[in-house]
Amino acid sequence: MDLLLHLCVVIAIYSIFAMSLNLEVGYTGLFNFGHVAFLGIGAYTSAILSLAGFPFGMCLTAALVAAGLTGLLLSIPALRLQGDYFGIATLGFGEILRLVFQNEVWLTKGPMGLPGIPKPEMLGVRFESLPEYLGLAVIAVLLTYLILGSVTESPFGRALRAVRDDETAAEVLGKNAFAFKTRSFVIGSIFAGLAGVLWAHYTTFISPSDFTLNETIVVLLIVVLGGKGTRPGPVVGAIALIFLQESMRFLRLPPEWTRYLGPLQQMVFGALLVALMVFRPEGLIREKGRK
Amino acid sequence: MSKFKALFAIVLLVLFVASPVRAAQDTIKIGAAFALSGSIAVYGEGFKKCVDLAVDEINAKGGIKGKKIQIVYEDNKSTPKDCVMAVRKLITVDKVPVLFGPAGSSNFMAAAPVAQQSKVVMMSAQGTAEKLTQAGPYIFRIIPSNAKQGQRLAKLAFDMGYKKVPVMYVNNDWGLDLKDGFVDSFRKMGGVVTDVIPFDEKKTDYRTELLRANKGKPAAIVNLTYINEGSIQFKQAYEMSIKTQWLCGSAARAPKMVELAGKAAEGVIGTYPSIPQDTKQYKAFKEAYKKKYGDDKIPIFGDYNYDMVYLAVKAIEKGGYTAEGIRKALPAVAKGYKGVTGDKTFDAKRGMLNADMGLWTVKDGKIVDYKK
Amino acid sequence: MDIFLQSVVNGILAGCIYALFAMGLTLIYGVLNFVNFAHGELIMWGAYFLYLFISEPFSLPLSVAVAPAILCTVCLGMVMDFAIFRPLRKADRLTLLIAAMGLSFLLRNAAQFFWGAEVRTYGLEISRGFQFLGVSLTAQQILIIGVTVACVILVYLLFFRTSLGKSMRAVSDNLDLARVVGINARRSIRAAWIVSAALAGTGGILLALDTNLNPEMGVINLVKAFAATLIGGVGNLWGALLGGLIIGLAENLSVLVISPGYKDAVAFAIMVGILLTRPYLVTGKRTD
Repeated sequence: MDLLLHLCVVIAIYSIFAMSLNLEVGYTGLFNFGHVAFLGIGAYTSAILSLAGFPFGMCLTAALVAAGLTGLLLSIPALRLQGDYFGIATLGFGEILRLVFQNEVWLTKGPMGLPGIPKPEMLGVRFESLPEYLGLAVIAVLLTYLILGSVTESPFGRALRAVRDDETAAEVLGKNAFAFKTRSFVIGSIFAGLAGVLWAHYTTFISPSDFTLNETIVVLLIVVLGGKGTRPGPVVGAIALIFLQESMRFLRLPPEWTRYLGPLQQMVFGALLVALMVFRPEGLIREKGRK
Repeated sequence: MSKFKALFAIVLLVLFVASPVRAAQDTIKIGAAFALSGSIAVYGEGFKKCVDLAVDEINAKGGIKGKKIQIVYEDNKSTPKDCVMAVRKLITVDKVPVLFGPAGSSNFMAAAPVAQQSKVVMMSAQGTAEKLTQAGPYIFRIIPSNAKQGQRLAKLAFDMGYKKVPVMYVNNDWGLDLKDGFVDSFRKMGGVVTDVIPFDEKKTDYRTELLRANKGKPAAIVNLTYINEGSIQFKQAYEMSIKTQWLCGSAARAPKMVELAGKAAEGVIGTYPSIPQDTKQYKAFKEAYKKKYGDDKIPIFGDYNYDMVYLAVKAIEKGGYTAEGIRKALPAVAKGYKGVTGDKTFDAKRGMLNADMGLWTVKDGKIVDYKK
Repeated sequence: MDIFLQSVVNGILAGCIYALFAMGLTLIYGVLNFVNFAHGELIMWGAYFLYLFISEPFSLPLSVAVAPAILCTVCLGMVMDFAIFRPLRKADRLTLLIAAMGLSFLLRNAAQFFWGAEVRTYGLEISRGFQFLGVSLTAQQILIIGVTVACVILVYLLFFRTSLGKSMRAVSDNLDLARVVGINARRSIRAAWIVSAALAGTGGILLALDTNLNPEMGVINLVKAFAATLIGGVGNLWGALLGGLIIGLAENLSVLVISPGYKDAVAFAIMVGILLTRPYLVTGKRTD
């Protein structure tokens, strides 16, 4: 039972992370391959502050502000680049940031990681046990879903899609593409920061190896698997991917195969991904109005 | 659409096959959240060999009160996130009261709070970080911490007459912790650390890092390195004709490192937490390993994993097959227990009370104890 | 020994390896317009194929085994294209990228499945390097530089001196237009895969000769190779060579000055810097 609850918390956190990326990749067409950087900023900001004794509400606010601000600062130069080049620039940023977490030992304890991050306490409620934390995570998912949902359904969201589908046409119609993309990027960064905060206070231990390129790949897969540019897509994707990944733990195999089990699981995972891209690249849920 | 259905059918099939395995009732299960894939799988495979060896021996002698021991391996994929997952699965699905934790201090520390909160005993045979067991009273380690090894290494350098040395270390939890331990002790003794050079894991080119360490041609360089990294470094140093006395930590003390580096590893000296290999326990272990696997290349920390199995089994025999019983019995059965890796008495922080540090060196392509 | 000069040599060596990887990447990017994330696995399998042929039951001498190893790598590249990338020819970039990532996962773990995670070596005897001008170089390192130069020349000749190369360049510039004027695009794409896989196999074998083999040897160098590709300009072979050398040199020289913990950051910082200040160097056209 605890395993199921744990899986639900993980899915909830990944859903938020994926929804934030979906705003950028799915709705705005920004190939952000360094999204994990904002997860890291959120997690580290909140963890460092709460270990210094600040209350959770303050840590959360600071973490979101830090993630948003970094997003803004990065977006100003990076958004001058198009498509793949933007992707590679953000990828580079993500890797540099991970190296900062790894090397600035005075601040982040470097590879030793930060243990003993306190569980969150808000409005007199302490989210200590698994069900309580799941409650908190689900509230956060709902809030993210509603806020990002209303953003994407609003005229602003339509403008984003217009920029994504044809930037020149959008400019001709008087939409400042750069400004729209910047706003989308900043909002995405803030919610990635939120996912980071939830992760840090859930596991109570973070280290630079939580924020590698691999995480970016996983969340990108979630978005594409679920269906990019759709509201429920990221949530569906998170559920599907994480259940798929974890269900492979239960494959019935003879014990002497254990040495082969790990790689085999990963092989099946890779093969399924390839198959999905070949047979249903639009993901589980298809965006309306697109073929 | 039919393609989609086919895919969906595959997914369903996977989930179906994946339904939980019903456990046989007549076995005693112990969990092991090991790295079977991912970046440190190379270590995980070795640990598993030695754990299996111990389990086979115990089962051949009738197991625990007639019940056979079964190790439930769970892949931790070498990432903190999957370590948490693997430990959770072992605790909730397999319901083990005791489990062997992941290697790598940061991976272990990510999962330790889970075991502590679920009140399940979690043991480490390779986590050397100072704070490893701080998560709570259910967390144990049977290997001495880095601080003790750092002291020994500092003393070694000092005794050999090296008062000024540069330090290279692998930039991860193990390397950083041991570097701090060494630098602290070395400075206290009056030694001077001329340069500190962190290097990344899993790279293929360390030539320029080596050059920087060799600046001013120091008589000795402290290099806290791993198997793969160490073998590449010694090879590249040899090729560039860097002639210095290498001083290493325990993580490079593996036959694999010597096999990979060849004659470039000759003469390397290092510390390791163990007792000399001439005890009857060690000889018996080595013999048994050779018999089972056909070679005497005992994997790094394999001996600790072997001891860990015996300690866990003894604790189950004494305290019963419950987490609470095992937790209480562990310090008692370990007290004065002489394993392959020496005296296993726990201290107040559930680490090792007696930490004998050995010295190793590479001579004629073999790892042997270093004697002056 | 001169530390600075030796660092420059080290940088060139690292740069040659990056350049070999980057040339293969840039070729596929140029012709098919996507990032082959599985290129790192071609590199790794190239090295492992050689290992396969020199060990039981083949037990070929190292120099003989190179040919079948590279041939196998090329076959693997062709199979990749035939089974996965050809059905996706019209797919959007994200789809292609994810498919390539999935493939990379599959192939990397397949290698671990067969050979285990442990590190392996071809078992060559190590030797001290030759010394000149205070710099040491081993025979393998001279081989690395020599083979890289040879590869660059061969690929150059193929590209600019043969009709196949001409049609490959045309496809690279504009696939549809090339089709319209009657260029056999299929043949050009196949040729691109063959060359790219052969370069990957060669690079992998050289890297393994110089260091060791492990299932992650490709992927850890791939991101750098990608940075080299971008620095040099996508689809530009000379650029890939130059980009590889720039990254190799910058990384190695930086180690002498800043904390080596930031060695990797140097490559990315240069890449991001170039992208931001001189994007037209990369894309070939001014966007502002």
